Amino acid sequence: MPKSSTLAMILAGGRVDELNVLTHHRPKSAVPFGGFGRIIDFSLSNLMNSDIWQVSILSQYRSFSLINHIGTGAAWDMIGRDRQVLVMPPYQGANNEGWYRGPADAIYKNLDYVQYNKPEEVLILSGDHIYSMDYQLLLDYHREKNADITMAFTRVPKDATGRFGIGMLDDADGETGGRLTRFWEKSAEAESNWASMSIFCFKPEVLYEVLQKAQDQDWHHFGREIIPALLQSNCKIYGYKFNGYWGYTRTINEYWQSNMDMLGDNPPIDLEKWTFRTNLNHRRICDNGPTLIAGGGVATNTMIYNGSEVYGTVRNSIIFPGVQIKKGAVVENSVLFFGNIVGENCHLNKVVSDLNNRFGRDCTVGTTGDYKKAEVTVVGWNNVIPLETVIGAGATINPQLAANRWHKEVGAGEVLE
Amino acid sequence: MRQGNDALVLILAGGVGSRLNILVQKRAKPAVPFGGLYRIIDFALSNVMNSGISRVGVLTQYKPLSLMRHLADGEPWDFVGRDRGITILPPRTGEKESDWYKGTADAVRRNLDYLEAHPVREVMILSGDHIYRMDFNAMIAFHRSKKADVSIGMMVVPRSEIHQFGAGIIDDNNRIIDWEEKPKEPKTNLASMGIYVFDYKYLIKTLKENSSELDFGSDIVPRAIVQNNVFAYPFYGYWRDVGTIQAYWEANMDVLHRNGISPQDWDIHTNVCSDRHYADRPPARLGSMAAVDTALISAGCKINGKVHNSVLSPGVVVEEGAEIEGSIIFEDCIIRKGAHIDLAIIDKRVEVGAGAVVGAGTNYKCVNRYKPDHLYSGISLIGSEVVIPEGFRIGRNCVVNSSTQKVVWPETELKDGESLFFEK
Repeated sequence: MPKSSTLAMILAGGRVDELNVLTHHRPKSAVPFGGFGRIIDFSLSNLMNSDIWQVSILSQYRSFSLINHIGTGAAWDMIGRDRQVLVMPPYQGANNEGWYRGPADAIYKNLDYVQYNKPEEVLILSGDHIYSMDYQLLLDYHREKNADITMAFTRVPKDATGRFGIGMLDDADGETGGRLTRFWEKSAEAESNWASMSIFCFKPEVLYEVLQKAQDQDWHHFGREIIPALLQSNCKIYGYKFNGYWGYTRTINEYWQSNMDMLGDNPPIDLEKWTFRTNLNHRRICDNGPTLIAGGGVATNTMIYNGSEVYGTVRNSIIFPGVQIKKGAVVENSVLFFGNIVGENCHLNKVVSDLNNRFGRDCTVGTTGDYKKAEVTVVGWNNVIPLETVIGAGATINPQLAANRWHKEVGAGEVLE
Repeated sequence: MRQGNDALVLILAGGVGSRLNILVQKRAKPAVPFGGLYRIIDFALSNVMNSGISRVGVLTQYKPLSLMRHLADGEPWDFVGRDRGITILPPRTGEKESDWYKGTADAVRRNLDYLEAHPVREVMILSGDHIYRMDFNAMIAFHRSKKADVSIGMMVVPRSEIHQFGAGIIDDNNRIIDWEEKPKEPKTNLASMGIYVFDYKYLIKTLKENSSELDFGSDIVPRAIVQNNVFAYPFYGYWRDVGTIQAYWEANMDVLHRNGISPQDWDIHTNVCSDRHYADRPPARLGSMAAVDTALISAGCKINGKVHNSVLSPGVVVEEGAEIEGSIIFEDCIIRKGAHIDLAIIDKRVEVGAGAVVGAGTNYKCVNRYKPDHLYSGISLIGSEVVIPEGFRIGRNCVVNSSTQKVVWPETELKDGESLFFEK
């Protein structure tokens, strides 16, 4: 096999706090997803499926959990003579030392590593998105156009353009893509609805030059400063059009929706078709036995990994390993992370519950009405919810609350801290 | 994990296990899938790991490829490291007589060089065939406290079953004073579990001095009882030799019903990445028509039919209107629309056509004509990669062999007790 000449760099540190209590203690890339994995697994699986084997992950946020998750890289076949995945935390002891001040700065601080690898292309990705993409198609387009930069774009609804970096592409290559002619970063003025997916393929020398300039100008973001500046200087920037599913999940409601997008007969997110991989050694997922459904337990339209026990009813839900749903409990339209225990006769509807929460018996959590109209209820990790507690729709429970913080009824939309 | 006890473990994994019929057509008995995600040998390996012992030799002989893929580098059982390791010990040429292993003791004797390269205080010899949980550390401590030459794991079994085992009579001090190998008329109900702790020097000496003795149970133990110190280490708990189809089916059902056995609670580890990424799959998907109760469901299953009282390995697809009852289904089987499966063990990658029936009728007592001692309670067996035609009916105690030969199916049904494509 020829040596892969593309170096991929995944930005995995940012967006803390974006997903409410789910990102209080971890970056968004490390948020659980898919019933057994993490959001960053989508990028890593895409790289594996695209035959890109030189990968580094830039993160400065609680690196140990990410390092644990990546392990040897064997889960994505990134182990071997010419294959590796490295986690690169900030460092001291050189000229460029210090915290990463933004994505561009993070890459700048590791330029020695990039240059050492002598890549033909540097592919910069975000570790925060849910999608399946063959990066080789983008690379093909990049090479065909002899582009300085090729970015991936996907169509978003017109009324949402203000939340994204939006590009105007010329029509030179129809459905494949086109040259970037204008760019708006999170602007109400955008005159297109092709949104940047935060995927940038750089010619290395272009990257080296612009990152040096960015240091001088104090620019730390690609979309905000670097792309507009390069566009101004007539750089050859192309846009590659992506037509598949793209889960952006910037709010809890979006996160919940992308979970629901894994359910049904022909789900938009099909982990099997996408060849989605995670590290089964992380949290020793591989040591779970098959899931037991017994004692009148019911599970329909549900995704459930190994290691759970269902004695109650589960509908339209995603169940991670080690979850127990006791007799009489009903869990619907919900996402339960690793190790949740749902007590007898509990009712959970439209709830996202982080790791290791224990719901005492007879709790009612989330909406009691039409779930489609209701807000998502989020429970942070390591909580012990007293029996018979009622938690209203859209409420937020902070992680690991002390026992005396709880009261019988948490109102709709209330934040319990 | 506890401090290791510096023992060397040899696992005997070479036997044919022929009573498991088509389940061992292409694999050794220790590699037969069990409890949805596991293989039989995982129990022995995990017991070793959980006892803090980390150097293991696995003696293979019969169809070892599947087993070797499963063991890989031993990482799932933490056997990778400076002083940890798992070594496959196959038969080899270059010895004086015929080179195949001719018995348990013969197999160990042919690996004396391996033993001598790893000097230890004790050698544990296990079978890779059994389903149980045991603390080998405690057994080694027992062995030391008795200053024994040999200690044998033993448990009480029903008298009606003792004829399958080595049987021992012990004194008040647990010393074995009499031994019968597979007795027709037993004097005791204390059976050997095929688990031995040998004093290292004693084992080497006895294997060297008595080179005509081929088997531990029949040759070495009876003599040792007379000449040396042999003790019975009592075991109380769940232990099964799943050597027959009936016992295999029952033990799987025990896992399902938590009837004395829970692999997950026992900390049983398996290799989820062996054999074409056996269990490395996304979560199971239960569709809107799924009706699953009292079942073990593994990752990668897609279920939209009815599953009751059954154990499903990874990647099993159950289509709408299909029903599975009292069965064990191996990986990647597809059960098409409206198919019914009752009391069957179905090997991997089988496709059961739409509306087909496996386990038709109620003639449970019509034993298999070809192997009446294998199938007699109603269980039917389907070999790997068999494609059962749409609407076809398979009765009770039937066998459909896995075969790459041209398949000539009978018109509409395989009658109770019949077999299809059995080996010459």
